[in-house]
Amino acid sequence: MMPNFEYVRPTTVAEVLTRLAAGGARLHAGGSDLLGCLREGILVPSSVVSLSGVAELRGIGELAGGELRIGATTTLTEIASHPLVRQRYPGLAQAALLVASPQLRNQGTLGGNLCQKPRCWYYRGSFQCARKGGDTCYAYAGENQYHCLFGGETCYYVHPSDLAPALVALEATAHILGRGGRRVVPLEQFFLLPGQDFQHETVLEHDEILAEVVLPAPRPGAAGVYRKVRERGCWDFALVGVAVWLARSAGVVEQVRIVLTGVAATPWRARAAERLLLGRKLDAALAARAGVAASEGAHPLAHNAYKVPMLRGLVEEALRSLA
Amino acid sequence: MKAGGRSPAREGVSEVAANGAREGHAAAWGTTTVVGAAVPRVDGWERVTGTAVYPLDLQLPGMLYAAVLRCPHAHARVQRIDTSRAEGMPGVRAVLTGASPGADVPWFPQRGKGPLSKLFDPHCRYAGEEVAAVAATTVFQAREALAAIAVEYEVLPFVAEMEQALLPGAPSIHEGGNRQNETLRYQRGDVAKGFSEADAVVELSFQTACEIHTPMEVHGSVARWEGDTLTVWDTTQGVFAVRDALASALGLPLANVRVICPYMGGGFGSKLGLNKHTVIAALLARATARPVKLFLSREETFLCVGNRPPTRLTIKAGAKKDGTLVALEMKALGTGGAYPYLPTSGYLVADLYTCPNVAVEQDNVFINAGPGRPFRAPGYPPCSWALEQTIDALAEKLGMDPVELRLKNVPVVSQQRGGVPYTSTGLADCLRRGAEAFSWQAARGRARGKGHLRRGVGVAAGMWGYDGEPRATAFVSLFADGSAILNTGASDIGTGTKTVLAQVVAEELGIAPESVRIEHADTGTTQYAPASGGSQTVVANAPAVRAAAQEVRRELLEMAAAELGRPQTELRLAGGAVVTPEGTVHPFGSLKALVARQPLVGVGRRHPHPEGKAALPFVAQFAEVEVNTRTGEVRVLRMLGAQDSGRVMNQLTFENQVFGGIVMGVGFALTEARVVDRQTGTVVNANWHDYKIPTMKDCPPELTCLPVDPQDRECNTVGAKGLGEPATIPTAAAIANAVYHAVGIRVTTTPASPVQMAALLERHRQEG
Ligand SMILES: Cc1cc2nc3c(=O)[nH]c(=O)nc-3n(C[C@H](O)[C@H](O)[C@H](O)COP(=O)(O)OP(=O)(O)OC[C@H]3O[C@@H](n4cnc5c(N)ncnc54)[C@H](O)[C@@H]3O)c2cc1C
Repeated sequence: MMPNFEYVRPTTVAEVLTRLAAGGARLHAGGSDLLGCLREGILVPSSVVSLSGVAELRGIGELAGGELRIGATTTLTEIASHPLVRQRYPGLAQAALLVASPQLRNQGTLGGNLCQKPRCWYYRGSFQCARKGGDTCYAYAGENQYHCLFGGETCYYVHPSDLAPALVALEATAHILGRGGRRVVPLEQFFLLPGQDFQHETVLEHDEILAEVVLPAPRPGAAGVYRKVRERGCWDFALVGVAVWLARSAGVVEQVRIVLTGVAATPWRARAAERLLLGRKLDAALAARAGVAASEGAHPLAHNAYKVPMLRGLVEEALRSLA
Repeated sequence: MKAGGRSPAREGVSEVAANGAREGHAAAWGTTTVVGAAVPRVDGWERVTGTAVYPLDLQLPGMLYAAVLRCPHAHARVQRIDTSRAEGMPGVRAVLTGASPGADVPWFPQRGKGPLSKLFDPHCRYAGEEVAAVAATTVFQAREALAAIAVEYEVLPFVAEMEQALLPGAPSIHEGGNRQNETLRYQRGDVAKGFSEADAVVELSFQTACEIHTPMEVHGSVARWEGDTLTVWDTTQGVFAVRDALASALGLPLANVRVICPYMGGGFGSKLGLNKHTVIAALLARATARPVKLFLSREETFLCVGNRPPTRLTIKAGAKKDGTLVALEMKALGTGGAYPYLPTSGYLVADLYTCPNVAVEQDNVFINAGPGRPFRAPGYPPCSWALEQTIDALAEKLGMDPVELRLKNVPVVSQQRGGVPYTSTGLADCLRRGAEAFSWQAARGRARGKGHLRRGVGVAAGMWGYDGEPRATAFVSLFADGSAILNTGASDIGTGTKTVLAQVVAEELGIAPESVRIEHADTGTTQYAPASGGSQTVVANAPAVRAAAQEVRRELLEMAAAELGRPQTELRLAGGAVVTPEGTVHPFGSLKALVARQPLVGVGRRHPHPEGKAALPFVAQFAEVEVNTRTGEVRVLRMLGAQDSGRVMNQLTFENQVFGGIVMGVGFALTEARVVDRQTGTVVNANWHDYKIPTMKDCPPELTCLPVDPQDRECNTVGAKGLGEPATIPTAAAIANAVYHAVGIRVTTTPASPVQMAALLERHRQEG
């Protein structure tokens, strides 16, 4: 059941920041993740601060240098259907379109998607798990079919977002506003592994907000794709998802980023696979080898070993679609 | 979606030709005009506009809201309950525990032995059992008060999986151990001898996951007392079943309990019969002298109102070279959770195919999990999953086409019922016509693809062996203005019962279905009908409704004949009028005797089942799938359901059942499974997101309904057999057989989700 809380809907970022600084506050963008967390008692804020009245946080626009800025409260539907996103960053548009369901995409925002809480069913359920201050990670010895292959350490959830890997593959930056002003963090460093910080999933301080995400100007010869496997046709998180971005010249791969979701607590770079591709021509055989390389270092738990062949196949398939 | 083979208007079938007449009952219909047509739902408008008041929507003056405190442990004993703090909380009007007056109600009565449990049993046998309840002014106050009830539990060791239930030292869930009953055995012939004579024998083991019904409308009731009379609005499939059990739980005369369900939002078996929360609502309403509304949360519907139990099945099948089955054997282990329930069914093994030697053994254990309950074709889809895959494997071993092997063994008698003939069996036609409409031969022979996307087609057959209680009464009243009232206790659980029954009245009285107003599902004012389950709603009620309408028709024709001075046999009823052979139209309102005597009232009763025969539906379904061998994704590209359910009463509702049944079968095959944490014995996916019901995107893009009507004139006076359940029985097996055809992997465990498929495909690759 929902706890009682105060609800405020400021119209400026400054007001939002003041509210956050007062403590006990939680941001509300589309609410699609927050409401579930409140209902399950994952978050127990004394005040809920809505971002929906802050106009400057919303919208997509091109910057002077050709970069694309996406405001934190832009909805997933807006991202998926925006002409510039679709033209220049097709992998991102695909990722946005594969999130959840149409209703959730209409309601959910970029900021909320990147800052959503882990989806581990023990964490979300009525288990006093380690992440909630208990002394056991139930997933470790329990029903861990949806848990991580990489980077697990005392907590084994996976990052649930489809957008995050697509944005990391594009080398997006997170623009964070706090009372000290603005700081810019590469999105790849925005997320934290449990080993880095056991309580927080992102680098945001309690009195900061994610204001916008900025994508570098598109590079000629670059191509991108996002693909996910899930158990049903929509309204389902990725078992494994992969975003690929690569740039070629004369057919030779010059830059590449392969970022997985559903396999670690953060978007996970498949660096060995990237290394394999650099300086080579992408063909079917190389795609298959890269798939295998992408699984290097995986540590399956009792019930998630299937993710290894799945991610190999998925990386291979994504790469072949760009070959 | 397209509908193949629109049911033909029946021509050339004379009403007297077939011998459908039973003592005192009309002959079966020949050609019909309104029945069989694609009549849209008579209550579609109110359902889609939201004006329909479901029990969940009901608001009564002064109504309180209730909530139930449930045991969080898989197995525990309540030592002490302290409700004092909760009682003092704002808005709280009553707190109920097992110690409250009238709350010591036995539950799960067992014949011969004492009841197994109570309304609030201190011995809690699964996470979710009822411990206490609160009624308060708002639902939030009620739920907040639950948190203030202090319960001391003695936490007990638990049994999470059925394989552990009978191990030495396993904690006992009930006195006398965890075996629900002695092994159930069915045997005919001699299987050992049968297998020794077989040219090919196949044996495979299977597992099916536990499925949750979780219908759109959550479970719940509103209870109101007036003196010693109790009225309950319950979202139920059977108001009479609930009334009977509720009256007995509360020690009330049947006449003092009125149960109503004007609309209901899905049940699939989980709303058959009485639930504990209904009794709790009634007790709280009595304690507070206020109406009380008690609806479960979505999460609660995953715990305590039933499920399709998990099963483990081993099937062995043997046949001669020519495909003649000589022996079939099934060994089943299942669990209905913490309370008695029969999780498996051997019916398909015993009766779907002609086979002289059959042996079925069913073991059934208790574990600390929520109770099983009928779920669309209880026991059959798991058995079909196992049997129909085994038959598929046998066909491969014999080098026979799977359709041919099945055709070779089509029965004409029910062997399980001592060899009685069927009134009709369309099984061979379902297989033949289905195969043809599906282009089976061509699809089967097509290349399966060389890349990572492999295609395959599969078939599975089925039948449904329940023919229900032939007991139902209906009243039909006809007014001179051509409108009519149908009074029937039947529940329309979303299947279109009201529409079909209105068509029956319209057919007999020559009026439009829209002119028939329906009073239904109210034990206080409507006539007895069995609960809507077992695919029996139309089969049980339509003949009774038809008989009532015929009584009105006879009286009307008598009046008209006298008034018009014509013999009755010359007159027709059409368009709300009596029509003469010359085409003169006499509206009902012009008949003076009718105006003076209206309404004409007919009482109809369901006739007994045909003697010495079995009247059962048959089915064959065909599936085409595409498997992504890299990722383990399985897509069902198309499915066809060839259904012998007798007469198509309404083209639209018929298709609805077939499409709905297939989609539910897709869930069973590919996505659905309750997940229980083995460390705590509690359900971890008790919500609509983690428990994966198929979405529109998982439905086969091409879905065909092919009615195969054997024109049965003996099954009953309307010619319809059951449909809701047979439509879902073979779906999952057909899909699994298609997957096997596509990639050569026999998926024996449900669901065949990418989680399982990715692992199986990897193993397959490594094994070469
Ligand atoms: C049933 C279901 C299925 C889903 N499936 C998918 C899926 O397949 N793929 C996927 O990627 N996602 C999925 N999601 C997650 C969904 O995309 C997110 O819930 C949504 O994007 C969150 O956006 P929101 O605006 O509603 O966030 P909110 O619920 O408002 O916020 C989410 C969290 O982020 C914080 N927050 C919000 N905005 C900011 C900000 N600007 N700065 C700092 N913190 C902020 C909030 O305080 C809160 O803790 C699913 C969610 C649900 C409920």
